[in-house]
Amino acid sequence: MDTTNNQKNFTIALIGNPNSGKTVVFNNLTGSRQHVGNWPGVTVEKKEGKLFYKKRQINIVDLPGIYSLDAHSEDERVARDYLVFSKPDVVINIIDSSNLERNLYLTTQLLEMGMNVVIALNMYDECNARKIKIDIKKLNDILKVPIVATTATKKIGMKELLSKTYEAAVNSDGSTGCSLDVKYNRELESGLDVMENMVKDYLPNEDGYPARWIALKLIEDELKMVRQLAKNLPEIIINKKKEIVDNIENSCGEDVYSLIAENRYDFIKKIITEIIIRDTKESPTSVSDKIDRVITNRFLGIPIFLIIMYCVFTLTFKLGDPIVGWIETFFGWLSEVISTGLANINAPELLTSLITEGIIGGLGSVLVFLPNILLLFLAISLLEDSGYMARAAYVIDRFMQVLGLHGKAFIPLLIGFGCNVPGVMATRTLENKKDRMTTILINPLMSCSARLPVYILFASAFFKGKQSLIVFSLYILGILLAIMMAFILKRFVFKGENSFFIMELPPYRVPTIKSTLIHMWERSSSFIKKAGTIIVIAVILIWALSNLPVGVEYASKDSLIGKIGTFVAPVFKPAGFGNWEAAVALVFGILAKEVVVGTLGVIYGVDEAGLVGAISQHWNPISAYSFMIMTLIYIPCIAVIGAIKRETNSWGWTLFAVGYSLVLGWVVSVLFYQIANLFVR
Amino acid sequence: MILNESGSESGSLSLALEDYLEAMLNIHDSEKIIRVSDIAKKLNISKASVSQTIAKLKKLGLVNQESYNPVTLTFTGMETAKKIRNRHTLIKRFLTEILDVDSKIAEKDACLMEHVLSRTTINKISELLEKTEKLNDDNYFEKVNINSKEREIMETVKIKTLKELGKGRKGKIVKVTAKSMIRKRFLEMGVTSGSEIEIIGVAPLGDPIEVLIKGYKLSLRKSEAADIFVEEVAG
Repeated sequence: MDTTNNQKNFTIALIGNPNSGKTVVFNNLTGSRQHVGNWPGVTVEKKEGKLFYKKRQINIVDLPGIYSLDAHSEDERVARDYLVFSKPDVVINIIDSSNLERNLYLTTQLLEMGMNVVIALNMYDECNARKIKIDIKKLNDILKVPIVATTATKKIGMKELLSKTYEAAVNSDGSTGCSLDVKYNRELESGLDVMENMVKDYLPNEDGYPARWIALKLIEDELKMVRQLAKNLPEIIINKKKEIVDNIENSCGEDVYSLIAENRYDFIKKIITEIIIRDTKESPTSVSDKIDRVITNRFLGIPIFLIIMYCVFTLTFKLGDPIVGWIETFFGWLSEVISTGLANINAPELLTSLITEGIIGGLGSVLVFLPNILLLFLAISLLEDSGYMARAAYVIDRFMQVLGLHGKAFIPLLIGFGCNVPGVMATRTLENKKDRMTTILINPLMSCSARLPVYILFASAFFKGKQSLIVFSLYILGILLAIMMAFILKRFVFKGENSFFIMELPPYRVPTIKSTLIHMWERSSSFIKKAGTIIVIAVILIWALSNLPVGVEYASKDSLIGKIGTFVAPVFKPAGFGNWEAAVALVFGILAKEVVVGTLGVIYGVDEAGLVGAISQHWNPISAYSFMIMTLIYIPCIAVIGAIKRETNSWGWTLFAVGYSLVLGWVVSVLFYQIANLFVR
Repeated sequence: MILNESGSESGSLSLALEDYLEAMLNIHDSEKIIRVSDIAKKLNISKASVSQTIAKLKKLGLVNQESYNPVTLTFTGMETAKKIRNRHTLIKRFLTEILDVDSKIAEKDACLMEHVLSRTTINKISELLEKTEKLNDDNYFEKVNINSKEREIMETVKIKTLKELGKGRKGKIVKVTAKSMIRKRFLEMGVTSGSEIEIIGVAPLGDPIEVLIKGYKLSLRKSEAADIFVEEVAG
């Protein structure tokens, strides 16, 4: 580390278990100076912020909430690699004081790594309420790192945490020295001793990591990480490691990994017995337990769940849609004002059209999602921070298992029926990568409200009196296909990943307004930034295709889009709609599915009232239903594509979502058309 | 062998010392405090000779005792004692479950066999037990229902999967047989052998279940609970 220590910015990492109040601490420290992005190459979110303290800039990195540093999940890998390879000056370990035993698991791992740790014993007020006393001085004697009692939701202890952290950063000489030796059993200890000596003899250790920790990682078979760290790993170490592991496993009758975990918990148990003083032997039934008795009750659990889900849906869409209407009106007004203005200065018509339809239209298409997203994340934030989210998953998981999904997939899929954009974004609540990716990729099969106008148009043209049955059948078809796709994805695409339901049920807590607002803002702004660009570009592109070459009639057969339509039309012949009009309407539908209706109106040269008549002339009931199937399934709209890109952080998966839905849509509509025709004849 | 090099292998303790450690661990578990008089009572030996042996154990770094205060097991002492006891339970289970020996006789025999069997043999016994457990896993309970003798054995051993432990019941985890990621997830969440676990709720649709472990609430599916073996405890 350089000697100009007092010039340098500090980097501090926040780490802690899920539900330890880490995000609240992060928000308290950084306020609104936050930046949300993704860790490179993974779906894990990266949050950074900064603050100034004693004229020094402190950068804060919020690591994902994890239970251990063992690098099984993407979250854990990201956190571990960050600590090992980016070496923050200080690591603030946020601990839920009312759940000390499990939280200390991560702490002991951090200390073994020789990290410069400051501990925040968060939610300290809950300990008082539960009549649990923690002997902080004794804990400090054992762990030998600064410890601050905090209650982040009430902003208690934040100043002290900051000053202790600053002190720790200033005093750090950059070298990592092991400050804690976890006591393992005899077999492990002697194995570790041998390994430690070998590490000292054979591995260069420029970064100053404790040899004992590297020895432990070797025994845990983390060869890849050690190789990256030491740049070389002699065969002799690997061989010795195998021998040691075999020895330990033979004499203890268990795999080393389990032994290490068990020993670590035993070690923690010893610490706990020394530092925890209970006033009463058993704490009385807490408020949280009482709430739980009602909420997860055998008879009340499901009704309560349904009521809350109804509220979430209503809040997101019923309250949001009027605002969406205002935004649409505003953009309509804006483009009119601008086009009149441009006409007055005799601007070329094409430019006017580009500005009003392309750019303003594009911006409008992004912002219309804002009310729904804000309100959905208001709801999700309240559910998560209060602790109900985990209960909702717990209550409905059995039902979701039938569909091959995780209980937490319910909300994203439910929201998908309103709009797939917030639906895809709501998948953040799924911790597990396999479950999250599956839920994202099947979400577009939930028939969103934008597809309804298309169904209604075709149903009223051909299925008078049976419209609701026809529309309902499409919703059901979407769900059935989603179940099928979930099965295929889990079985064949994400087969390497594991799916499980081992989930903490945190105590009920009162959500804080600040956290809720920041959460809403963060989600919405990241959607606008990341997905917004994609949406605006797509809108302008489609504008260009329908207005070029210059002088062509908008979206006519001679425009570029018309030519593309004519070119691809034969592909849809087996599905019953092999005409260029249908193909063009589908291309426009990628902008937003309801645009299909408007496009058909433009192409047939009729207004909305005349559209039903025009449709009846050009289509028949079977091709109409086949087209509805296509509209349901094919390529998600551009906003959903943007959201998928944002959430998966991968163009590969985004293209996969586009590709599979196109193929699936084609296959199902062709199958329907061909089979239905067999019966009709 | 590293373990022999370090000279710390528990097999090198004399029979008597092993019995002492085991007895002390049992007293520790039931009484919390280990008094010399309790040890004497348990092993049917005079207090004076107990004190003598304790001095020996102290020298070996297995116990601590400040003048006339109660005895405490050190970390290594605790580990060694646990291993001895595990060996005991293992042999007893082998005798009752596999060889169908009466549980009282099995208890006595296990006391003797635990000191003399080699580690290799004990490992083989452990493997065999695990294998039979797995083989029977599918119809574990039907079998218990049909065969009353086996039921009796199950009751004396009181080992069942977490899935079968009813609501409101407590158990001590004996073994986690889950594999790969799920196993690691269990371990990091504190679902480790020796931990106490209590079933505190079942979801309205009958699955998942809610358990209390290490002072916090955890939910897991029944299919996941089927991979956790527990020994039921009263409470």
